[in-house]
Amino acid sequence: MAETQSRKDHGVLYLGIDLGTSRTSVAASNGVRATVLSYVGYPKDVVSKKLLQKDVLFGEEALEKRLALRLYRPLAQGVIQGDGKDAENLKAAQDLIGEILRRAKPRADELVYAVIGAPAQASIQNKQAILEAARKSVDSVMLCSEPFSVAYGQDMLDDVLVIDIGAGTTDLCRMHGTMPEESDQITNTCAGDFVDEELAKEIKKVAPEAQFTKEMVKALKEKHSAVMERMEPVIVHLPVHGKPTAIDLTEGMRAACKRIIPPIVEGLTRLIATFDPEFQERLKNRVLLAGGGSQIKGLDVAIEAAMKERLGGGKVMRVEEPVYGGANGALKIAHDMPAEYWEKLK
Amino acid sequence: MPEFRTLHAGDAVHGLFSPSEVEELMRVEFARAERHKYPVVCMALGVDRLAQLADLYGYESKEEVLRAVVSVLRAETRDSDFLCLRQDDRLVALFPHTAPEFGAFLAKKLLAAIKKQRFERDGRQLRVTLSIGVAHNRHEKAISFETLVRVAEEGFAVADQGGGDRLVETELYQLFEKKRRQEELAKERKELFDGILAAIPRTPAPAAAAPGGDKLGETLLEILKSLGLSVSSFEDLDKDAIATAISRMADAKASAKAGEVDEAKRTIDMLERRIGKLTHALGVTEEELQRIAAMKNVELGEASIYRTVQGLSDDARDKERKREMMKDIFHANFELKKRLSGHADVPKGA
Ligand SMILES: Nc1ncnc2c1ncn2[C@@H]1O[C@H](COP(=O)(O)OP(=O)(O)OP(=O)(O)O)[C@@H](O)[C@H]1O
Ligand SMILES: [Mg+2]
Repeated sequence: MAETQSRKDHGVLYLGIDLGTSRTSVAASNGVRATVLSYVGYPKDVVSKKLLQKDVLFGEEALEKRLALRLYRPLAQGVIQGDGKDAENLKAAQDLIGEILRRAKPRADELVYAVIGAPAQASIQNKQAILEAARKSVDSVMLCSEPFSVAYGQDMLDDVLVIDIGAGTTDLCRMHGTMPEESDQITNTCAGDFVDEELAKEIKKVAPEAQFTKEMVKALKEKHSAVMERMEPVIVHLPVHGKPTAIDLTEGMRAACKRIIPPIVEGLTRLIATFDPEFQERLKNRVLLAGGGSQIKGLDVAIEAAMKERLGGGKVMRVEEPVYGGANGALKIAHDMPAEYWEKLK
Repeated sequence: MPEFRTLHAGDAVHGLFSPSEVEELMRVEFARAERHKYPVVCMALGVDRLAQLADLYGYESKEEVLRAVVSVLRAETRDSDFLCLRQDDRLVALFPHTAPEFGAFLAKKLLAAIKKQRFERDGRQLRVTLSIGVAHNRHEKAISFETLVRVAEEGFAVADQGGGDRLVETELYQLFEKKRRQEELAKERKELFDGILAAIPRTPAPAAAAPGGDKLGETLLEILKSLGLSVSSFEDLDKDAIATAISRMADAKASAKAGEVDEAKRTIDMLERRIGKLTHALGVTEEELQRIAAMKNVELGEASIYRTVQGLSDDARDKERKREMMKDIFHANFELKKRLSGHADVPKGA
């Protein structure tokens, strides 16, 4: 067994890629893991190009120098915008996948086989655009549904309800088998960006004169987000009339974070109620919480509490590594995929 | 090793090279020092509590502080010293013609210079300090640039965890060098040797030969060379390995029945594709070559840890279920590909 395994692995680098609106991550079989903000920028003109000394910039660097760039977020809504019709946006997607591949550090002679987790709601055209973008940099590529890869990564092969809280969207998906159908999914826009907006409103309520940027709000959220009744006090310093002033954001933080719960529970209830009655009870107890936005402290317990009220009970589990949940699962699929399948798709 | 990045576009204007160029220059400088036997000191530096600073005052102020720190460090060092800001906001510096004893002295000077600076944000005084790990090339095991950097980084980690604003020298050259050499060599050798083994005995008889049966051996030797292994012939490989190889070759020949020809073809096909890729890569540009060299830096020790973390270790549980699932995914993708290119039938019995 170990023998065939090593032969199969030999000379092949497997990649699991999670293509997100805000973040693209890769987990590779050589142990490398990398994540890059899903931004791609090209110098606006000759002068910028000379200054930047690069033809293309990625992630934080692109964001930071956006004034000198034509900036793309090729995967807004988790799919390649313009359905591949917009040539430069497709190129941006290609370059992003190329970059994430470089960060996985393949050796020059290694064949690269990648599984890409695509949002469950991606259209056929979207999927083809992703495939087209990936084909340039890998030797063989497959797509799988992102919630499936998350569940597979956790070894949850039976029915499971995946909640993926990203930046732009929260995706609820009922998994039974590998391909969810239209009716298995519910998407809402109460996700990370929404919490940021709500938090900004809360800050304005307690400190109308405070000055802050979107980035600052997001950083505050990522540091202090929580929904517990008893949470650590959140005292932040924001400039008011140019002077850093202490602001108590404890209530505001909780309130902003909590607002994503009702739509989630609403969605869960619908997906459970329309499931085969025989298995509803089991599904209720197999809810998997994933995505960067799931790192809000106490969120699992809070959703359980809300489920108890609406559905009489439920169990919510967390993915230990929200940032790499999708990528890890996709890597596992890539690894478990028989060699002949890979070869047929090369 | 983390990636290197440009601090700001003005770097070029100020006579700085791009970070990857600096890294390359440091490598070259290290090699030169080894050749001409002069001392160099290497430091890993980082601003203490930088993440919190960014949390409190935003990303821009973090960049501001980094920029200021870099310019202080530049002012305190010679033009011939190398300084590089990495993707992870840490700095690596290389000081040519600098004796080991002088390393700590120099680090102290840098610590003091940073502390003297006044950093302000929103009218508040910021306390900016550094942690520094110091390494040098006078230790008998400090024979690679990677090792030097890793030892310095280890020192940095100790300094940082100890509360910062300090320098730490460690003597872990032996450990890191050993790790680096052993893992790198063992893996490369094994993989390539396996490749040779797998390819040679299974090459079908000349009549039906896949193209390049013999050339394959030669090319693989080339690969070994290009990877920096001084192998002029197969004899340079371990005796034991060769013995195993021969016995496995005999076994393989004995059992190379019709059913195995496919498997052998596949192996050869794959090797050829890999060699094709490598040859292509080697041919492309000098830059590509450097990338290959840089790739040797992948921490192999980590890889094995991650394999279990990632759940990739062999696991027979639910095998059948998983296989069915893989088949479903494959078929969906095959359909997708068919629609894309509008050709081919769904494979039978897949
Ligand atoms: N500790 C944290 N607490 C709360 N939210 C967090 C935390 N860390 C990251 N986030 C949020 O998670 C979101 C990003 O999640 P993720 O990386 O899963 O998104 P994505 O997959 O790129 O987006 P999408 O799924 O919408 O395509 C951001 O809004 C980010 O602010
Ligand atoms: Mg996501």
